[in-house]
Formats: sequence, C-alpha cells, structure tokens
Amino acid sequence: MIDFLAKKLDWLDVHQLFYIFNDLSLFYIIIPFFVLELIRYAYLKRLDKDLVLDSIANVITFGGFFLVEVILGILAITKVYYWVYNNISLPHLELNWATVICCVLLADFAYYWEHRTMHRIGIGWATHTVHHSSPHFNMSVAYRFGPLDAIMPVVFSLPIVMLGFDPILVLLSEVFVQVFQTLLHTEIIGKLTKPIEFIFNTPSHHRVHHGSNRQYWDKNYAGILIIWDRMLGTFEPEKEKVVYGISQPINSVNPIVVFFHGISRFVKKLGQIKGFSNKLLAFLKPPDWMPKQ
Amino acid sequence: MKNSTLVFRSLGIIIFLAGLAHLFSFGVDVSDDTPTLTSETPSEPMEQGKVATPAENTETDFLTDQWKVAYNTDDFKGAIIYSIKKEGKVYNAYTHQYEDENGYAEKAEGSKALTITSFNGSKGKGIYNIEYEGKQYEVDCKIAQVDENTFTLSYDYYGYGDVETWKRH
Ligand SMILES: [Zn+2]
Ligand SMILES: [Zn+2]
Repeated sequence: MIDFLAKKLDWLDVHQLFYIFNDLSLFYIIIPFFVLELIRYAYLKRLDKDLVLDSIANVITFGGFFLVEVILGILAITKVYYWVYNNISLPHLELNWATVICCVLLADFAYYWEHRTMHRIGIGWATHTVHHSSPHFNMSVAYRFGPLDAIMPVVFSLPIVMLGFDPILVLLSEVFVQVFQTLLHTEIIGKLTKPIEFIFNTPSHHRVHHGSNRQYWDKNYAGILIIWDRMLGTFEPEKEKVVYGISQPINSVNPIVVFFHGISRFVKKLGQIKGFSNKLLAFLKPPDWMPKQ
Repeated sequence: MKNSTLVFRSLGIIIFLAGLAHLFSFGVDVSDDTPTLTSETPSEPMEQGKVATPAENTETDFLTDQWKVAYNTDDFKGAIIYSIKKEGKVYNAYTHQYEDENGYAEKAEGSKALTITSFNGSKGKGIYNIEYEGKQYEVDCKIAQVDENTFTLSYDYYGYGDVETWKRH
C-alpha cells in the first residue's frame, strides 16, 4: 500500500486521468444526466418556458465566467502560481498517488473556505449570488457563475502551491473538485446510503446549500467531502422540502440581469452607505451588514 | 463555533494533509531508496551465477547487444561497456568492461546497471542505477532510439540528471 502510494507517477498518466474526469465527464455524465432531467421535468409537467430559458441563461453565464477566467486568468494565474512555486514554496513534492490524493483533498478544503468566504463577505456574495439565484435545481445550474467567481479560487489555492504542490496539479485538482460539485446539482438522486452521506457531499447536501429556507442559509459549503462542514459547524441535513433560490429573487431569465444582478445590487448598496471607510468595509463584512448610522 | 476553534481545526487539517504528502514524497522515498540499493558499495561483486548464465543470445532485438557509453565526469573519465540481455519481460544491462581515458580496459564485475521495463521499438522506460556519493540509487529513466546503433538514456533525479548516449559496441 505504502509502496503503491509512494510510487512515482508519470505526468502524462496523471494528466490523462484528470482529463477523463475533468473534461470528458461533460459527455458521459453531465449532458446525459441533463437530458434525463429534462425528461423528468416533462413527465412532471414542469418543463416550461421559464425553465428552458433559465437553463440557457445558466450556460450563457458560464460563457461570461469563462471569458473572465481566460482573460484575467490563465496567463496571469499560471505566472503567479509558478512564481510562488519557485520562490516561496516548501520543497517541491514528487508526483505520486499520495501527493495527488493529498492535493485533491487540500483543494477540496480550500474550496470549502473559498465557498464559505464567498457567502460571508459582501464582494464574495455579490458574485456568488448568481449561482444561487436560480429557482430551479439541475445540472445546468452548476454552470451558473458570477463575473468574479474566477478570482477567489486563486487566493485560496496559492497556499497549496506554497506547500510544495506542482501548480498544474493544483489547477487540475481545483477543476476536479469543481466538476465533482457540478454532478451534485440534481433532484433525481435522493439520499444515498448513510456512510456516503456522512463522508461525501451529495445531491441531498447540496440541495440544502441552494435552499432559501432560513435554516438552510449558509450551510453545506463542501465540494467533495461533507466532513469539512461537519468539522467546522456548517452542516445541515435535508429535512424540510428545499425551496431553491435567494431571499430576494431576481425573477428574470435574462442572462445579463442574471450575470450582473449581484454586482449591481452591491453597487446600489455602496451608494446607500455613507463614508469611504464604511464603503470599504462593505466589501469584507457579511452581505447583510449595514453600518450603524 | 468559535473563530479560534475554526482556525485550529483548519490548521490541523492542512498540516495533516500537507505533512502526509511530504512524508510520502521525501520520508518514504528516502527510506524506500535505501532498501532498493543494489549494493551498498558499487564494487561489491554480483552473484557469479547471474553473470555467467545468459550466454545464449537468441533474441535479435535492437537492444540485446553490447553498448558503449563514454563518460566525462569528475568521478570517472572513460567508457563503460554494458551488455543488455532480455530476461523475461524486461531487458537488463550489466556492466561488462571499463575503459579509462587511455583506453586501458578492465573487466567489469557484471553488476546490473539498468532495467528497461518497457520498450516499443523506439522509446522506452526503465530504472537506472546511478551512483552518488558511494551509494547507488534507482532512478526512473527514459530511453529513446536515435538510429540503428544508438539510443539515448535520460534521467532526472531531484534536478540531478543527465542524458547518456549508448552506442552499439
Ligand atoms: Zn454557495
Ligand atoms: Zn451549487
């Protein structure tokens, strides 16, 4: 076992494995599943114009997110990652099963905190609210992203690079976590067996995360492992039927409105806040924070 | 949950996971390298049987032959002639003869220097025994055919690497 975990791996093989899950799963899981969901919606007579347009808006927001990711990201991000890796990092780790698994788990843990931060600071919620603003819950919602969603992961994954993990491995692991999370956006799968629901994030747990029911707010931030929520006090099981969405619904399927509603609400809020330091604080304070006036 | 609890638990998780990765990368690897030493001192002779047996060379592969590699390092200037034999599914290279700069030859002890675990006719992978400060380490290496009578062997071990040219002898 130890030999197996410590055995050196070939970069090409690791790349291939990540590629099979990170990239190809779109074709062998996500799209077939979405089709299944559409059939289910049709069967339940819930397949209406709103749902279809909502799904289209979701995919368009992903396009916007991806564009930002490409423009701001890839070039600058890999440069920053490599600078950190070569200048302020612990000894560089080898590529073996143990380091790959630890890297994925650390990326998952970083995702937990990144996600929690997105919910609990003003500027974070201004972008992440987009993901939560759909009144529906299906695979396409997983692609509903806000304009600044690409930035926060960088802040939280750089420490992993500083721990000695290869920047490319870190990026691949981040995508792995994200793709795992994508697969949870479905109403088709109920609760899974107890041990799985105890350890892993599941569709049931993530439905709770998307709930606008008061007890479901800011719960189940997990990517792959729900145990982070259990350990850090943010776990909530699915009991009451989940009502999807946010407390102040946007009632729109216009992709532009969907994509920018968080930012425009935040800007409006900044306009109402008096004083420069208070305006600055609004970026970092919880989304419902207002200075005492 | 108190903020201090969150910080301590989070740090605990990060230290555990990062520690595990470093342990498997360096801790295990180092202790893993020691037992795989082919011999504590490279001059220790191999078992006689191993050197003597594979005389019949029925395989007419590209690899199975004698190969000469020139070295020009502080440790050793000259050349080594290796003999590659197919043994089961792998190819093993044994030291056959040493030559110093002046061409003076000396029979080698026939120790195993290289195992080629896979070879597709033009490229392959294997494990190379390199000597460092009197100890031998097994490192991953790649081989690539250059022409009918030449292939290169390359390895990289924590930044200490080289590309050797193996010429048919
Ligand atoms: Zn969220
Ligand atoms: Zn979600």
